[in-house]
Amino acid sequence: MDPFAMLGAPRRFDLDLSALEKTHRELSRALHPDKFAQAGASERRAALEKAASVNEAWRVLRDPIRRAEALFQAEGLAVGETNEPKASPAFLMEVMEEREALADARAARDLAKVKALGAGVSARAKAVESRLTAGFAGGSPSRDELAALLPLLGELRFYRRFLDEVEAIEEEAEERALAGARGVSP
Amino acid sequence: MSQAPSSGLLEIFDPKAPPKPIGIDLGTTNSLVAYVKNERPTTVKDCDQAALVPSVVHYGDAGEVVVGKNAQLRAAERPRETIVSVKRFMGRGGDDPETRRLGPYAFVVPEEGAPNVVRFAVGEKVVTPVEVSAEILRSLRRLAEDELRSVGGAVITVPAYFDDAQRQATKDAGRLAGLEVLRLLNEPTAAALAYGLEKKQNGKFAVYDLGGGTFDVTILVLDDGVFQVRATGGDSALGGDDMDRALAEEIFRLTGREASSASPSEVRVVLDLARRVKHGLTDADVVDFESPFGGPGAEAGAPLSIARARFDELVEPLLARTGAACRRALKDAGMKPEELDGVILVGGATRVPAVRSWVAKTFGKEPLGDIDPEEVVALGAAIQANLLAGQGSADDVLLLDVIPLSLGIEVGGGVVDRILPRNTTTPAAARAAYTTQEDNQTGFEIHVVQGERELAADCRSLARFTLKGIPPMVAGMARLEVTFRVDADGLLSVHAREERTGVEQTVSVKPSYGLDDDTVEQMLLDAIDHGEEDLAARKLAEVRVEASRVVASTKKSLAADPDLLEPGEQARIESAIADLEGAISGADARRVELKIEDLDAATKGFAGRRMNRAIAQAIEGQALETVERSVEHAKGIEAAHAESGPLPPAPPSG
Repeated sequence: MDPFAMLGAPRRFDLDLSALEKTHRELSRALHPDKFAQAGASERRAALEKAASVNEAWRVLRDPIRRAEALFQAEGLAVGETNEPKASPAFLMEVMEEREALADARAARDLAKVKALGAGVSARAKAVESRLTAGFAGGSPSRDELAALLPLLGELRFYRRFLDEVEAIEEEAEERALAGARGVSP
Repeated sequence: MSQAPSSGLLEIFDPKAPPKPIGIDLGTTNSLVAYVKNERPTTVKDCDQAALVPSVVHYGDAGEVVVGKNAQLRAAERPRETIVSVKRFMGRGGDDPETRRLGPYAFVVPEEGAPNVVRFAVGEKVVTPVEVSAEILRSLRRLAEDELRSVGGAVITVPAYFDDAQRQATKDAGRLAGLEVLRLLNEPTAAALAYGLEKKQNGKFAVYDLGGGTFDVTILVLDDGVFQVRATGGDSALGGDDMDRALAEEIFRLTGREASSASPSEVRVVLDLARRVKHGLTDADVVDFESPFGGPGAEAGAPLSIARARFDELVEPLLARTGAACRRALKDAGMKPEELDGVILVGGATRVPAVRSWVAKTFGKEPLGDIDPEEVVALGAAIQANLLAGQGSADDVLLLDVIPLSLGIEVGGGVVDRILPRNTTTPAAARAAYTTQEDNQTGFEIHVVQGERELAADCRSLARFTLKGIPPMVAGMARLEVTFRVDADGLLSVHAREERTGVEQTVSVKPSYGLDDDTVEQMLLDAIDHGEEDLAARKLAEVRVEASRVVASTKKSLAADPDLLEPGEQARIESAIADLEGAISGADARRVELKIEDLDAATKGFAGRRMNRAIAQAIEGQALETVERSVEHAKGIEAAHAESGPLPPAPPSG
């Protein structure tokens, strides 16, 4: 299934998500199994299958990483950690340092530092997204262009994991504050 | 004024009136049935004008089964034979921790090889939660039939946080009760539907649903008739019952008795007393009562009391548990509490003042409570039943619900590979590809789990099966594709296929917790053996209704899109319709079923083309708003159809 075709969206990275959400909703209105409760089995099955595909397409396109993966796949490239080039040693080094800094900030319960590290990484994620936008802006990129863009996927995944961790630490701090307010020791 | 009674009379005495669809709230503590009457949802009341039927089932010595208030009256005297709050046991294994909590029941350990479900020993009999729930549903069906004569399909509500096994058990109970289950509907979504249609207001809402035994929180957006659930969370073993238990433990403390030394009837008596104290504390600051029995702390009949402040303290840890789920759901929905336009309260336990003030504090606004929190779910279910039966007027209403807990497969090292994450909109489908770990591996063991934890052992096991018959290959060569499908009821089906050899087994999934289809079928036959109805006559009536519906719907489709028919297709479909109509006028149920299948086969291609047209039209409708982009889109579609994308890669098989 090509999620772009399913939702009638152009094959690019920077999609108008609010317009796509509307398209998803209109497609759901037309295809949802509830609308075919009185129909025959063949129509019910066809509608169920299409409605599931439409939902899957929307789930892929609204997530930057999965949307990028779908763009590479549409160009015939296999994605996933085993199919993509290994990250550069420089990037890996940088990443390790960032992770250590985050672990230290968490241990020191330094929430301001945690937030600052998160802001830094999310700015870098944005920069990577801009490169993907530019790379896929003019129709199909060439093989060389695609090869240059492919390592960005791994970077985006790393940033996602890092930001998830930042959120988990913030949540942990929040729960601790709430427990403290109730007079329960964490 | 003079009009209403006459239209009521017409409804009752019109012999041609179609069967009325109903909505059922199958609750932990109470259950209700509702239907749409003159475009308004209304609950069905019993002869005492009560809508709530206590979810209590008593199994008498003479084999009689009593449901509701009369069963409740026997609970104290016959605690083991009277099942209260059976919903807490739905879809659970015979060894579930739930069976070890404070309660008066005698459980039977399932025999080796028998389905792993909870079994209650009630006198001479052994019953499962599905059968107990079916008794409640049957009694609600009869209540509705008394008022409506003929009952059509039913929408049955379930807590949003119910997992697959719990949903399947609920659907089985519906079937066992002789109901055509149109849909399982999430309780919070039902409540939102009742509120949304009432208020015709767009916005973002939280539904805080604290029932007798389950807690759910759901964040949803209502926009132009579409109710889109953004996130849901909760705890399927937390509810008003836990408040009763906390109060019961307090009563034991006041009497100086150990709860563990109490007899089953004493436990029942204290739990009932606790519930009355809880209800009393809704309006009063202190509730006085007599000690139910003697103990080191109080003689039997000695005056005791519990104050609201003490109750609030007892309830506080339970509310704190709901808080974590609320924050998680808001985060999953990407919303802050202040963005919400309203908070809807559902469930009897939300009448407790401490709950209301806690909700107001957590969400920063006074909760809505203008529809009775104990009726709102059944009212919403009735609206949905009406819509599904094609009897509704609000054609543009649509509910888009989600999967409450992630679904995945156990891979190397006992780790879960998530295939459908929580909060994925249903219906949903996703595929994943795997490979073999060892040389000459001829089978794949597939373990399906549900939950958020990393390790399969910490998640709920839904099913296990093996795909066999794969020819020996070098490790990593085989390519297994697993497809997960979740339907609009939130129920999962799993399909596995080996790509290189084409070995494909429509594997029969043996549920880890729950009854297999044969067992349910047997229960159904047993229930009918008890002389309730003539099975053959009922079966024929059912397939005739189904067949007529299929014929009507097919004719409608033919009239709507004649240009999509291929040469000769119309003739084939029309001949299949004629055959089916012939079968309907006969008396052979099996023949009707076969002719339905034939018509189904004849319409397969046409149905697919109709769906494609529906998609194209919906996209076109949207494109009119954004004309420029639509030109780009159309070009993309042509190119994209040429080749479908490759599968996601095989995850590392550790």
